[in-house]
Amino acid sequence: MNRSDPTALAADTAAAPTLAQPGLQSNPAMPDHDQQLVAAAVTKRFGGLTALDNVSLSLRPGEIHGLIGPNGSGKTTMLNLLSGYYEPTAGAIRYLGEELGKATVQRRAALGIARTFQKPRLLGALTVLDNAMLGAWTHSRAGFVATLFGLRSVAASDRALRDKAAELLHGVGLGHALNRRANLLEHAEQRFLEIARGLALRPGFILLDEPAGGLTAAEIEHLGGLLRTIRDAGIGVLLVEHHTDFVFRVCDRVTTLDVGRMIKHGTPDQVRTDPEVIRIYLGA
Amino acid sequence: MKKSATLVVAGLLAVTFPIWAGDQYQLHLAALIAVFWVLIGGLNLVVGYTGQLSIGHVGLLAVSAYTFSILAGTQGLHPAIATAAAGALCGLFGLLLGLPSLRLPGFYFAMATMAVALIVGEFIMANDGLTGGGIGLAAPTFPTPFDSPAGFYYLVLALAALVTWLTWNVARRMWGRGLVAIRDQPVTAQAVGVPVFRAKLKVFVFSGVTAGVAGAVFASLQSYITPDTFVFELSLFFFVCIIIGGRGSIVGPLIGTVILTALPELVAPLAKLGNFFYGLLLLAVVLLVPEGIGRVFEVISERLRPRHIASVPVSPDLPRLARALGARR
Repeated sequence: MNRSDPTALAADTAAAPTLAQPGLQSNPAMPDHDQQLVAAAVTKRFGGLTALDNVSLSLRPGEIHGLIGPNGSGKTTMLNLLSGYYEPTAGAIRYLGEELGKATVQRRAALGIARTFQKPRLLGALTVLDNAMLGAWTHSRAGFVATLFGLRSVAASDRALRDKAAELLHGVGLGHALNRRANLLEHAEQRFLEIARGLALRPGFILLDEPAGGLTAAEIEHLGGLLRTIRDAGIGVLLVEHHTDFVFRVCDRVTTLDVGRMIKHGTPDQVRTDPEVIRIYLGA
Repeated sequence: MKKSATLVVAGLLAVTFPIWAGDQYQLHLAALIAVFWVLIGGLNLVVGYTGQLSIGHVGLLAVSAYTFSILAGTQGLHPAIATAAAGALCGLFGLLLGLPSLRLPGFYFAMATMAVALIVGEFIMANDGLTGGGIGLAAPTFPTPFDSPAGFYYLVLALAALVTWLTWNVARRMWGRGLVAIRDQPVTAQAVGVPVFRAKLKVFVFSGVTAGVAGAVFASLQSYITPDTFVFELSLFFFVCIIIGGRGSIVGPLIGTVILTALPELVAPLAKLGNFFYGLLLLAVVLLVPEGIGRVFEVISERLRPRHIASVPVSPDLPRLARALGARR
């Protein structure tokens, strides 16, 4: 599966969206194509550096998709392309029938694409509950002027979002810290709060950037439980992660990158046993 | 409910102030505090919540003070209408200033607002046919019952209360969270869908309107305005009130405004120190309680008896999470 010749592929990007992916076709329960979050033959260059070279990926609802690879292989670049922080040099990002390559981060949030960050980006001055509620910004029906004048509908909308966020926080295990300032949280709590904030967006897809980083073995188990529950609720998960054991355990499909190119895509078993993946990434 | 009790007491003190105030000068000073708060309260959403360092609001204050004096004085409009017009004009001014400058990174935005404040001063000097130039303009008083010192005090107190209520409504709702996100985690703000630029612009226009209303009553309170009334230091003063009071708080900057306006006037030795006093206070607050004087008691009590937060291992409640997500399978 090693896409060998980069120069040939770079010239080939227009035709590339049709590139077949074995894992994609082997699944009989393939949902409507529009429901997938698709990166089609995406290339991203930063000046002379090619961070991603003609990589295709399609995330499906109700599936955990792992993205692994050595440092600098382009995992986070892919996540930033999907969530809109980068614009692809070539190729397309598609969701719900919309071409998102140039769409803003906010547009993607409105469509239901949530993400978390490698280093948690929380509002330390606000409470845990406020942080989770912030994730529901796109569901707040309150305009600025209506908010200024304290209209009743604004208070009602806020209250409803507060109840929902509190439920999510209890669900991820932060029920004990709802009113704590977020800068007083421990590391695992911060990571789980990021996930709760992402879920408050009521996403179709949630993109997680190394959520297991810095967690203990027990906490990683809890994280696995969260991810399965999120998947079973019909949400698609992209898991960018270094803990390969964890990835192979929880993911339905796995994509391996190396220096910006896809080297293997398939079920965890297919990827784990691939000689190329073992040589480049997993080690003997 | 210690907080609400404090609020009620403070409110009662403010309302009864004309009764127990020592002299007319103290009443004038209290009115000045209320006028400043109308501006600073609005600016607080820009600086304290959204983290946009505007140091040019004295320019808006001047535009509005002159607008009011020309409309209500020279043109003979009703002062209430002139005030509304000044507020609307400064809102528009805020929009025109914010459109190009709010996309700039913090430092450059601060410079742009400063430049505007300086330009407004020069503009007033240059158009002496309209503004009286260096000689200045007389500003009319409001009609009865607001023409007495106590009446005017109640007018500006009501405006100050209104601005406090408006900003409090914003601070405690989704907009407040969104604004703090723009200040502290702009990347997160984007990720959850906050339209960063438009949100900044709306808040900035609001601060223009409040500065406009403040400028009108400010002119009336001063009864005579000249370009020297609107020195750049006044802009820094507004800014410092918010920083000393603490970012992300309404009560803090309010206390900051009261202290910084009243202290140098009431304590004669401090008046002699002038800007030195502001500088010293700013330094002390930034170094000792960067959270601001609004939280000084909180910070001290936490230092004295640190609350130990029991470390609870996170243990998710997966069925509850599934219910919260509304399981689709």
